[in-house]
Amino acid sequence: MGYLRRASKSFIKSRNLSILSAFSAYGPSTFDIRSRFAYCTHSRQNNRESPIDLSQYPPERIRNFSIIAHVDHGKSTLADRLLELTGTIKRGHGQPQYLDKLQVERERGITVKAQTATMFYRNTFSSPNVKDTEESPTFLLNLIDTPGHVDFSYEVSRSLAACQGALLVVDAAQGVQAQTVANFYLAFESNLTIIPIINKIDQPTADPDRVKAQLKSMFDLDPNDTLLTSAKTGQGLEYVLPAVIERIPSPPGKFDSSLRMLLLDSYYDEYKGVICHVAVVDGALRKGDKIASAATNQVYDVLDVGIMHPELTPTGVLFTGQVGYVVSGMRSTKEARVGDTLYHAKSVVEPLLGFKPAKHMVFSGLYPADGSDFDALNHAIERLTCNDASVSVTKESSTALGLGFRCGFLGLLHMDVFHQRLEQEYGACVISTIPTVPYIFEYSDGSKVKVQNPAALASNPGKSVTKCWEPSVIATIIIPSEYVGPIITLCSERRGEQLEYSFIDSQRAFMKYRLPLREIVVDFYNELKSITSGYASFDYEDAEYQISDLVKLDILLNGQPVDAMATIVHKLKAQRIGRELVDKLKKFIDRQMFEITIQAAIGSKVIARETISAMRKNVLAKCYGGDVSRKRKLLEKQKEGKKRMKRVGSVDIPQEAFHELLKVSGNK
Amino acid sequence: MAMLKGNLSPFLFAIPTKSRIPTASLTTSTALLHQPTVCENASMTTTVPPLPIPSPPTSVYVHLPFCRKRCHYCDFPIIALGSSHNQLPEHDNNDPRISNYIHVIRREIEATKPRSPTGPPLKTVFFGGGTPSLVPPPMVWSVLETLRSKFGLCPDAEISIEMDPGTFDERKLRELKELGVNRVSLGVQAFQEELLRACGRAHGVNEVLEAIDIVGRCEIGNWSMDLISSLPHQTPEMWEESLRLAVGAQPTHVSVYDLQVEQGTKFGQWYKPGEFPLPSETQSAKFYKMASEMLSKAGFNHYEISSYCKNGYECKHNLSYWLNKSFYGFGLGSASYMSGVRFSRPKKLKEYMGYVQSLEDGLADGQHHDKHVDAKDMAMDVVMLSLRMARGLDVKEFTRTFGKSLAFSLYGVFKPYVESGHVIALDEKGRLLTANEFNSLASNGCEVDDMVAFIRLSDPDGFLLSNELIATAFSVMSP
Ligand SMILES: Nc1nc2c(ncn2[C@@H]2O[C@H](COP(=O)(O)OP(=O)(O)O)[C@@H](O)[C@H]2O)c(=O)[nH]1
Ligand SMILES: [Mg+2]
Repeated sequence: MGYLRRASKSFIKSRNLSILSAFSAYGPSTFDIRSRFAYCTHSRQNNRESPIDLSQYPPERIRNFSIIAHVDHGKSTLADRLLELTGTIKRGHGQPQYLDKLQVERERGITVKAQTATMFYRNTFSSPNVKDTEESPTFLLNLIDTPGHVDFSYEVSRSLAACQGALLVVDAAQGVQAQTVANFYLAFESNLTIIPIINKIDQPTADPDRVKAQLKSMFDLDPNDTLLTSAKTGQGLEYVLPAVIERIPSPPGKFDSSLRMLLLDSYYDEYKGVICHVAVVDGALRKGDKIASAATNQVYDVLDVGIMHPELTPTGVLFTGQVGYVVSGMRSTKEARVGDTLYHAKSVVEPLLGFKPAKHMVFSGLYPADGSDFDALNHAIERLTCNDASVSVTKESSTALGLGFRCGFLGLLHMDVFHQRLEQEYGACVISTIPTVPYIFEYSDGSKVKVQNPAALASNPGKSVTKCWEPSVIATIIIPSEYVGPIITLCSERRGEQLEYSFIDSQRAFMKYRLPLREIVVDFYNELKSITSGYASFDYEDAEYQISDLVKLDILLNGQPVDAMATIVHKLKAQRIGRELVDKLKKFIDRQMFEITIQAAIGSKVIARETISAMRKNVLAKCYGGDVSRKRKLLEKQKEGKKRMKRVGSVDIPQEAFHELLKVSGNK
Repeated sequence: MAMLKGNLSPFLFAIPTKSRIPTASLTTSTALLHQPTVCENASMTTTVPPLPIPSPPTSVYVHLPFCRKRCHYCDFPIIALGSSHNQLPEHDNNDPRISNYIHVIRREIEATKPRSPTGPPLKTVFFGGGTPSLVPPPMVWSVLETLRSKFGLCPDAEISIEMDPGTFDERKLRELKELGVNRVSLGVQAFQEELLRACGRAHGVNEVLEAIDIVGRCEIGNWSMDLISSLPHQTPEMWEESLRLAVGAQPTHVSVYDLQVEQGTKFGQWYKPGEFPLPSETQSAKFYKMASEMLSKAGFNHYEISSYCKNGYECKHNLSYWLNKSFYGFGLGSASYMSGVRFSRPKKLKEYMGYVQSLEDGLADGQHHDKHVDAKDMAMDVVMLSLRMARGLDVKEFTRTFGKSLAFSLYGVFKPYVESGHVIALDEKGRLLTANEFNSLASNGCEVDDMVAFIRLSDPDGFLLSNELIATAFSVMSP
């Protein structure tokens, strides 16, 4: 992977770290960052001798496919191999995840953003009849690597929209996992041709036959269609692209219709501005064209157009069925609505079916730990969201915490990664409030409100609440069969409703549950993993709102409600959560000059109470003589400690206490 | 941020090394200003008056670091002589470690430029340690003589020495008294054999009683007893006993220290504050209150957080610290404060000796003229030190020196504590302001200056939480 090395080196040299952070929404993977990064650093030097002539590739010579898999089953590695095999990148000796430069990536090893690369491949292998290899046709293949975590299935479905087929990669030892199931169904529902690939067959514990049987029983995939590979040793890889060409249909668009293209993705490049990834569905796009957005009616000039090979490679044109990039003078990624249809200005077209807009499932308030740092936090959030339209941000203010932001996330991991990146990459020191999900309340006068911030819900509203709803999810859980009992207990504690329970094979159980989203927001996945010693796999998709019995739980310090600590909880859980919150606060708030009472209350009814008695002694009565500096240092340290706390009313709350509140699930 | 600007308040003066100025009135020394230190932020937005020129030091601290062994709680720079060191006077005279050190300290004094050539003579000298009573009196005398010839010594100067039980006999103390020592600070710490042992003290209760007896026999009219509370395994009964016996010994001064468990000490390794065998925070607060109560009843004034005295027997030397006055410091690890600059000497003997050498070579002068003095910094020192005293913060003077706004921010932050009784505000006649009066004054800035003369911490509640209260004050002074 010499190419990777080069990219990484120049990356380090380029002082502009923002390029990297700007690349992907929330922690790019090896592959993403490589390719994206490469676009930036190499695009300007890219003056190839023989420009690529895309007109040689009519739809029948094009295949668009993606790789879908459970996390760590080998998507990125397989993608690397295919790129090498086609000479798109040089075969090298780079370490895997070599470019996972961000701390967050290295720590989590996750792919969260879909990536695209164009390859050219001459199908020599499976065409034994063609004697003269020179005459075997070259195909244009667009490969889309997809994220593998539950939070990002939105990204996956987006990528699939541009594809006609998918490689379903399954680890030969681990077998089918929750995201295998979820991703299979996403692909299946999009009518994609699925090529099952059992990867990592080099592993000593590999059991491809067992996996074949799982694929057959769960997805009705024919064992004879299954390819066996090792992305590590290269074994079996030669069959992959021939299968792509033979099995996956070519893109269906009309060559001679007016241009319609789907906006797949966008990101911001320091040099070129907004770069859109597009799939040309019908017609052709040329540099200099005027294009319009169906969503905004804005018109843009096409300044540059080309393919990701994997660097941005200008071609001046994109034809039907091809996937590439467009630079069009958009100023911000906000103009580039993912799922939008772009077409020739002045032409009249039927917009393509877009994707569902990203749904914000989890909300939390983000506040500067030190009130005076609002501007710094504002700046950091702006930079970070510049390439991540999937985080929604609105300003809000809290009596307790001052000015801050209410942010909406796709899921918990998304939220976590966002926090982590804010802190690690932008040095922002944030306090986040207890994550909440969007509830709907209906009042006696018939009015309905959607509540994304519990503080916004009146504790004692003048009118009574007649009904409330909470969002739910359908969760897929796959576990070794011996853990079935404890997992059923866990799910019922979390107010889950079992929808399906079966066995994949003799060792693995498959369960589907409907769960209130609120119940999986805090600590569910961790709990799942700890119960099963890490063997559980989990995925969820959002489902409809359910009627629920919800109450607002207030936390009061010395009798004053602290808005930033309010939560909305199920009535049956209020007591436990209230108790847990109060206990956590008692544990993490230090004794202070005065006694502190901590209460949890529903309306005016106190359901849990603790007191922290006043500090008794904090004095330096030692013979330091003239060593005033030493005394001074001690007190300065004490002062600094105070500074790191949030003063709410007369109580100093350490940031840690806020962090601890996030972990309260009411299930312990 | 109000920083001292050299040309606004000429204050960081340095007198050329060799030249001696015969009469240095305020104006002449101002004229001979060292190149003023200019700080980046020269614009003075608030109306902070120029800092007053600190008067030259009239106090000297001399560090005599020798101990027979290190106590388990001690983290001071000391030199342990070891158990081989015999306490008999005739043997003391021969220990080369002591005589060599005394030689170096005298060189340090000699090499120090007096702040002002015609400066006032010294008013207090404090021999601290370590265990200064291990140093043979003739050597103490030699240091005192060096000081006298260098700076001059007032005839009625307070000359204190710290002495540990078991390290001196009547003859030694008489000798010290003859050469001018007039105040003894006796390191008793506890009256219980088991506690003394637990602390790693080099003496027992018998030595304590004997030492008290010697002090009495030598008719030292001004002496202090040191006690430590919150020792491991200390019970309220033991503490009561110690206080009772202390009162019975009739010192003119008592210092009550509260054990601080310091990192790097044996106690630091063994114990955690607030956990057995150390008393709980509540217990330890109780010890503090017991001392305050019993000693006050016995006629002592609780004039500083850890100091008690009979009328007129304040430790003048320590007062100079708390009043933020300049002082010289000599010897290993000792701190000095001159021209608004604090400086601590090296804590390792070798480095300290190197420092003295460079002082003699003119390469260092221990006074760091190049450091600029930040008014806010000084104000924080003043707040920290004066709130340790029962007298409290002299608000009028503070306002004169550091400006209204800083003083005003203090009122704001102390409001709730005046209400809770941790902080006390007094008017010029010494009348306590009620919380209501203070509140209305504090929210109505202009009048406060006229009404409030002193702000102090209450005894014992305010004193007990002094760190918290001072740190709170700091947080508004230097946000
Ligand atoms: N033994 C073996 N390891 C593999 C193979 N393919 C990928 N891996 C390793 O599995 C881990 C996860 O691979 P990665 O491509 O990042 O998975 P992704 O999360 O699906 O993108 C990495 O450590 C790879 O080196 C394989 O065929 N055999
Ligand atoms: Mg990956």
